[in-house]
Amino acid sequence: MPFAPVPQAFKSSLKEVVIGAGESAVALGGENVLPLYSFDAPIKNRPKVGIEISDLGPDRSLPELAKFYEGASSAAELAARACAAPGADFVCLWLEGADPNGEDRDVADCVKICREVAEASPLPLAVQGCGSPDKDARLFEKIAEALQGRNVLLLSAKEENYKGIAVAAVTAYGQKIAAESSVDINLAKQLNVLISQLGIAGDSTVMHLGASAAGYGFEYIASTTDRVRLAALAQNDAALQMPVIAPVAADAWSVKESVMSEDEFPEWGPVERRGADMEICTASAMIAAGANAVIVRHPRSAAAVAELISALL
Amino acid sequence: MALKGLDIFKLTPKTNCKDCGVPTCMAFAMKVAQGSVQIGACPHMSDEALAALGEATAPPMKLVKIGAGEREYALGGETVLFRHEKAFVSKNLFGVALKPDSAERVLPEVMKIDYERIGERMHVELLHVGYGGSGNGDMAGSGNGDMADGGSGDRAAFLDTVRKAAAAGRTLVIECGDAGVAREALELAKDGKPLLNGANPSNYAEMARLAEEYGVALGVGAPDIGGIYDTVQALEGLGCKNLVIDVGAASAKEAFANAVQIRRAAIKDSVRSLGYPSLVNLEKLAPGNPELQLALASVFVLKYGSIIIMGDMSYAQALPLFGLRQNIFTDPQKPMTVEPGVYPINGADESAICATTVNFALTYFIISGELQRSGVPVNLLISDAGGYSVLTAWAAGKLSAASLEKFFSEQGLNDRLKNRTLLIPGKVAVLKGEIEESLPGWNIVVAPNEAVGIVKFMKELSA
Amino acid sequence: MGRFIVIGERIHCISPAIRAAMEARDPEPILRRAREQLDAGAVYLDVNIGPAAKNGEDLMKWAVRLIQENCDNVPLCLDTANAAAIEAGISVYDRSRGKPIVNSANAGDRKSNVDLAARNDAIAIALCSKDGVPANNDERQEYCQELLEHGLALGMEAEDLWFDPLCLVIKGMQEKQLEMLEFIRQLNDMGLSSVCGISNISNGMPKAVRPIIDSTELAMAIECGLKAAILNPCERRMMETVKAADIILNNTLYADSFLDI
Repeated sequence: MPFAPVPQAFKSSLKEVVIGAGESAVALGGENVLPLYSFDAPIKNRPKVGIEISDLGPDRSLPELAKFYEGASSAAELAARACAAPGADFVCLWLEGADPNGEDRDVADCVKICREVAEASPLPLAVQGCGSPDKDARLFEKIAEALQGRNVLLLSAKEENYKGIAVAAVTAYGQKIAAESSVDINLAKQLNVLISQLGIAGDSTVMHLGASAAGYGFEYIASTTDRVRLAALAQNDAALQMPVIAPVAADAWSVKESVMSEDEFPEWGPVERRGADMEICTASAMIAAGANAVIVRHPRSAAAVAELISALL
Repeated sequence: MALKGLDIFKLTPKTNCKDCGVPTCMAFAMKVAQGSVQIGACPHMSDEALAALGEATAPPMKLVKIGAGEREYALGGETVLFRHEKAFVSKNLFGVALKPDSAERVLPEVMKIDYERIGERMHVELLHVGYGGSGNGDMAGSGNGDMADGGSGDRAAFLDTVRKAAAAGRTLVIECGDAGVAREALELAKDGKPLLNGANPSNYAEMARLAEEYGVALGVGAPDIGGIYDTVQALEGLGCKNLVIDVGAASAKEAFANAVQIRRAAIKDSVRSLGYPSLVNLEKLAPGNPELQLALASVFVLKYGSIIIMGDMSYAQALPLFGLRQNIFTDPQKPMTVEPGVYPINGADESAICATTVNFALTYFIISGELQRSGVPVNLLISDAGGYSVLTAWAAGKLSAASLEKFFSEQGLNDRLKNRTLLIPGKVAVLKGEIEESLPGWNIVVAPNEAVGIVKFMKELSA
Repeated sequence: MGRFIVIGERIHCISPAIRAAMEARDPEPILRRAREQLDAGAVYLDVNIGPAAKNGEDLMKWAVRLIQENCDNVPLCLDTANAAAIEAGISVYDRSRGKPIVNSANAGDRKSNVDLAARNDAIAIALCSKDGVPANNDERQEYCQELLEHGLALGMEAEDLWFDPLCLVIKGMQEKQLEMLEFIRQLNDMGLSSVCGISNISNGMPKAVRPIIDSTELAMAIECGLKAAILNPCERRMMETVKAADIILNNTLYADSFLDI
């Protein structure tokens, strides 16, 4: 008997989350198949690629990156440049300078930067906080207010600060949030439940399940994402049907392979190429694992990942 | 694979004759499923039914070996689709495609990639050499234009490349759909038991004979998944079951679809004729595009490439790819660990400051990475803490003053090291006093709670 | 394994309020009970219209439409001795959220309800009995085989036959409980689905004790492989047991708030 594969779409599907407004708005999720399995059923929205910029500016010691952002100094100028990178679907402003242990830029300054970046960006905007739960909660509340109507994605709401962020950003100003857990599937679910209990629907939340670079415990995030996706589709678990976002840039660019100088490891070749390759590998593997969006730093990575998505879908 | 009683029941005569000693065929099937009665206890099972049962209890995917001696590798043998269910059995292999015009340049670069990471040798295991237009890729509609005619000049160049590749000390994948030329190539490389790729719907019988004669595994492909299935069945009919399935070269999309559907059919739906390892040739799917090849390779490590051939592999690509593979093919029940010992960082010598943490690989990587970034020479002392994270190891009694004392004496650290400052993880600050007692003469310093604080901490410490 | 399937039993003509609502075609009492049960976590709702010899077809159609239209096409279990009424109910049934369940067939005079399910692509609850309660598991197996063969011969998938081992009342048949549980395990080993009406076991017990007995038996039956049960989801202890069992059997991922979802 001849073999004909049977399409194995699920009855349940992921929620669809839209970020941005107007023509450039992008939708994440919505599919009822495992990642990239377009042979089972059409995939409603392709995975999306975001480019990360920092309010502290790019690492200009990397020649390609320096050239890409040459002449751009303000965050707004960087954002405009990033939006023009081939393959970019959205831009992610990382408020690195807001870190209380670093520059500790104050909230009003951060809001001003966000406003300028939003003005300068033709693509949808995500804003990534500095990681301090307290500072991020204060930041996001003001940013959500200032960028009303832009439908921005705020990364991230965590167990420690989700309440204030969810209510201020989503309920009051209609923005989108990422619920962040660190490679803990039960907490990922619990955080979604808690956020939904605030009256926030699944189409306003994406999941940030944690991040690791390839080679650095990537198996944990890969299996967590597998399990989340199987729960969402095979078990129809509404608390896990939100799309997944994977900001891989920070991890990919901080591991040994991406930072050690060529002097120390001459056979490895130039640092920038290594960092970009680490980022391409990690982002691609996250898309295979189930990320509906990835955030990368290098334009070379954005182009390669976008090309991958086009090649597979 | 365990059979459900229902599958057995459907094969019984359903006569409730009690000849097996059980009141009903249903009850008989239940007992067989439970293993308390052998299927042979029923004298009325047909030969077809018994054959079907035997087939159903066979493993879902064959374990296929390629290469010889130290360079023999097992592929396939998988039983699950997701690694959280159970560890994958066989890690994927990476290969690089050598072409006559570029082998001289590519080969030395590939051979340079050879290092160890958490006890595993990282290198490109396979070298691929392809001939002419009759391989699987071209059956699937996308040949390498430069090699399409397969003239005699090509043949000589191909054999020459096979010779070079065979001398490189790696296992070969010889791709050739022309049995005559393939024989010549096998003659050159037979000792290394290469994989012979190139069986297709029109040449499979000849290729099967050749693979049999040389005792090598055979790669098989066809223009579509139905054709692959039919050709595998034809090969199985000839007794050829030492197979690898080439998922094709029509497009990346189709190759991915084939890889997933073949694996899923084998594991989930028990389609035995698709229960073989896979081969994907990225140089055919994304010719001359190393970044897309890297991206695709990353995807195929997760989703079901057994052999992944690339057009080239730079060191910069190898680092993340081998790391990714090492992660994905770990046993989810067993954490990865690093060997206990002294790991000098930033050129540390015996007089450098010391830091200690657990042997859980992830912790080691994060801590050693941050220490490296600090630029401060430091000896990282890794003791056996059961493969747990810091807090878990502490709670389980695997990281304690006593465990460190034992580690220090086993390793002779008081003699080997001159510096007497030891940084301990911030999360076990509570151990400071006890460690001071168990390691007399050492100045115990509590390091930050989180790895992100290490760079700043080290710089301040050494300032 | 999927999550445990709770079939809510509270739309039952034995309840005076429901009986009156059915007679008067009064939607409110019926919808209120439907929503209560769904909020509590029921997956299917059982709709028992009684023997309904007269007007059964109209009544079932009305009930099916009413409940499905007002409750997001919740899947239903059609429960009456009147086979024509079941078939009428299926004729207006929306299967977007699950096939209808025919409640019920047996190996005796209700064997034709398997035929009914087969020709309507429905699920049948198949009681492993002929008339009355089966004496032992040999009998259960015999009836199970008979119904299974019958269904398969009619082209049904085995998964659409949910076998009911028949729960026996503890007050009177206490010593038979373990055998019944063992049969559920056998069905599970066979790859067959099982379902039962759990509250039968505590018939005649004081009201305060019944949920304790019922939920404990339910937990034990679920461990043996029980796929679904007809029960009162508004009884909190029962649903807590179901939710906890789903966590322990890894049918759904744990979260601290698992009882709230």
